[in-house]
Amino acid sequence: MHKFAHLADLHLGANREPELKEWEITAFLKAMNICIEESVDFILISGDLFHANIPDMDVVNKAVKKIKQILEHNIPIYVIYGSHDYSPNETSIIDILHSAGLITKIVQAIVENEELKLQFVTDPKTDVKITGLSGRRLGLEKDYFEILDKESLEREKGFKIFAFHSAVAELKPTYLARMDSIPASLLPKGFSYYAGGHIHEKLEGKLPDFKMINYPGPLFSGYPRDIEQFSKGKRRGFFIVHFNDEVEKVEFKEIRIVDPIYFEYDVSDKSSTQAKKELLNRLQELSVKDKLVVLKIKGELSGGTTAEINSNELRNLLYEKGALYISINKHSLSSKEIETMQIIGDDIQTIENNLFRENIGNIKISASKLKNNSGVKIANELLKTLRQEQKLNEKKKDYEERILKESISILDIEGTS
Amino acid sequence: MNWWLNLSEFDIVGQVVGGNSAEILIREKADKELELGDLLISEEGNSRLLLQVFELTYGSQISQLSRELMAGITLERTGKDLSIFDSQMRNYVIASVKPVLHIMGGKVLLPKTLPKFFGSLRLVKKDDLFFFEKPDNPIYFGKIRSGSKVLDVDVYLDGFNAFSHHIVIPATTGRGKSNLVKVMLWDVLGANNFGILVLDPHDEYYGRHSKGLKGHPVAKSNLLYYSSNPPTGANTLVINLKSIRHEHFQGLVEFTDAQEDAIKRYHTEYGSDWIEFIVRGEKIEGVKPITLDVLRRKFDNILGIHIDDSGDLQCRNKIFSTTAGSTTTKDIADALEQNKVVIVDTSKLLDEAELLIGSIVIREIFNRYQRYKSEGTLKPKPVAAIVIEEAPRVLGKEVIESKGDNIYSIVAREGRKFQIGLIAITQLISLIPRQILANMNTKIVLGNEMAAERHAIIESASQDLSAENRSIASLDKGEAIITSNFTKFAVPIKIPLFEEFIAKSISNRSKSKTIFTG
Repeated sequence: MHKFAHLADLHLGANREPELKEWEITAFLKAMNICIEESVDFILISGDLFHANIPDMDVVNKAVKKIKQILEHNIPIYVIYGSHDYSPNETSIIDILHSAGLITKIVQAIVENEELKLQFVTDPKTDVKITGLSGRRLGLEKDYFEILDKESLEREKGFKIFAFHSAVAELKPTYLARMDSIPASLLPKGFSYYAGGHIHEKLEGKLPDFKMINYPGPLFSGYPRDIEQFSKGKRRGFFIVHFNDEVEKVEFKEIRIVDPIYFEYDVSDKSSTQAKKELLNRLQELSVKDKLVVLKIKGELSGGTTAEINSNELRNLLYEKGALYISINKHSLSSKEIETMQIIGDDIQTIENNLFRENIGNIKISASKLKNNSGVKIANELLKTLRQEQKLNEKKKDYEERILKESISILDIEGTS
Repeated sequence: MNWWLNLSEFDIVGQVVGGNSAEILIREKADKELELGDLLISEEGNSRLLLQVFELTYGSQISQLSRELMAGITLERTGKDLSIFDSQMRNYVIASVKPVLHIMGGKVLLPKTLPKFFGSLRLVKKDDLFFFEKPDNPIYFGKIRSGSKVLDVDVYLDGFNAFSHHIVIPATTGRGKSNLVKVMLWDVLGANNFGILVLDPHDEYYGRHSKGLKGHPVAKSNLLYYSSNPPTGANTLVINLKSIRHEHFQGLVEFTDAQEDAIKRYHTEYGSDWIEFIVRGEKIEGVKPITLDVLRRKFDNILGIHIDDSGDLQCRNKIFSTTAGSTTTKDIADALEQNKVVIVDTSKLLDEAELLIGSIVIREIFNRYQRYKSEGTLKPKPVAAIVIEEAPRVLGKEVIESKGDNIYSIVAREGRKFQIGLIAITQLISLIPRQILANMNTKIVLGNEMAAERHAIIESASQDLSAENRSIASLDKGEAIITSNFTKFAVPIKIPLFEEFIAKSISNRSKSKTIFTG
């Protein structure tokens, strides 16, 4: 029986805090070791191997060393772009690794008569036929799905895998309801396995025409929402798929780098002084040694300010008690005394998104693509680009040109750089 | 006389000869042919009275006996060449008309006067109807119709008012009901001002096999289509069992007290997994095995879910799932909030499952809008309207009396407060109780041969349609009367044929060339 590993959303280089950075690469190394131990025939990564198209070179260095080791074991790695490591002009780290022969980009396509025709990549060891569509920024891969020549893909015989980096609308978990997604009907039918990426949760989906649409979720992710989900018990890892002519068994290999603990505290009807005192007492009782701690403080204070529940003080206490990393979420904390402008959201991206959504109607602009949802999407993407910092050894001129080029591409306007 | 001089001889169609304010009698000019529903104008200076023909009868100066004798001579003997001397003067048509509006300068008032005795009347012209303006949030219905003649005057209603105060479309088969709804939805799609949920038991609006809403230039961004068998690009209609709550069955499925109690216990014990555990036959304290068995059978019948030989939960119609469809309800409600049209193809479902799906989605939007109202954020939200076919299934008197209120009847009664309306389509409006009909402030009346149904329409109309009985019966395909609190009178309209209507909207758009990267 053959087997392959299906991973996605590794987001290498996403984290800046030393502990998270360490866990992120450790999780990757651990997963690769399991692949070697299990002697998988190949590894398939459904997007976002890296967090950015030009990630931190230190992370790249560590990853490349491991990838080389994998190749020495005769295990090829097939990848597609994710929404983060996508590059519109094919100058992503993914392309560099592909050119160096370390990984294989499986998306090979041509547009003929406004129809997108995909080619299969055949794994030489197993004869498995792999194809798929990369993720793009702003969920723009949907445009490609809409012109995809599905029939030719459906006609192909043999064990076929379709890799993609998009949320399938019918399979989104409730808390990701507002995530951009594609309907399952855009996927070609009749594949033996659909290797999904983009949804940060382990998910094994079944729909009338699709026997197996699987998302492994990240190995370890430092996004606040992902850390919270992890601390609430969501398992992290990847799939090993055993197959002959059809899939025989799907095994989830859990990667657990650190033990998490989730603690929620409701301040409602308490003053900030009361709440702080009680919270500190409760945290004293908590066993947090060598753990990743997620502390969620919510509710409406009857008096005092939210700032009086000092995060640093809480953090210091938990570090003193031996916690390895602390994430404090005060997004649902408010006070009766001080009315602040409240934009609801679980993480920064959602808050920014909601802020744009609330305010876009106030801006008078004639270009329709800058209005409504499309305007919000472009604003989000532009913000993400403008937020990028100058990279190590990158000249200021190159940095400015890069940002300008990406911004022009996002706005889809002709510009001079 | 002044009133006479205003009209050329060619324009005159008749002259007032008697009657009262409810029925004015007009002698028809010999070479004119008035029709039921014709709109006429009586003009005096800058004051015009708009009148409408509701009955046509013969008039003659010759006695009935003499007419019968003359007919006998013509038919039975050799009187084929027999003609009546000055026949146009002696035999004629009397039209019964009613005043519908008084147009005074730029103002439009309800009529309180009669037209001048012996005054002449002409057919209405486009300029007479200057007051038909395009409202702020227009929904297009068609053009003004005078009898069977169509005037180039577009008829719109303000969607905010019309949708939130409910619309009912009483129509028998073949009178153009689907065509009307398609035209209306096509217009709404383009306007992008309202959120419309269409429960489509005949799968006729999307246009899977013929022309439909999918052809709209903005369909890609503003139209969502859910089906258990979706074409490329459409969404699979799949609802997670966890999304179903006890209240969704309210008024749609009857449960005994023991069953209600059992459901509560399962919900307390298993939370959102309550249905799955009932179907799996998981026993819990306080629920008799026989009650559990009946509930399992009920859920099997309604939802099509059962346990297969290997112990897995299966759904016969593939609509309900334990793994997929967690966000379907939210996605649809979100789309409605974003002014989109959502069509749910329920053609492969049994009645109860169709109504249940509607109930799940409508509850979601109803709860959201209730919350927005309490938070003071409702006003900027679009009006959400729900198109429901065969409305007496949920709004019928007997149904409500036997099963209690359901979400549809709750929306009919209370939806207005929360900017949620119904577009109820029915062949049998008489089955809907008067209290509910009284809340449905716009009725688009299509042709109806059934006297009892016409009676119910007339009784519940926003304007006095007591004289329109014959007109309603004689409405041809595509002809309709809009009676609404938001129109100045019961407006006769001609609804365009969908295929012709959309031909104007679909131009040859140039496609941008796709360059692939990935």
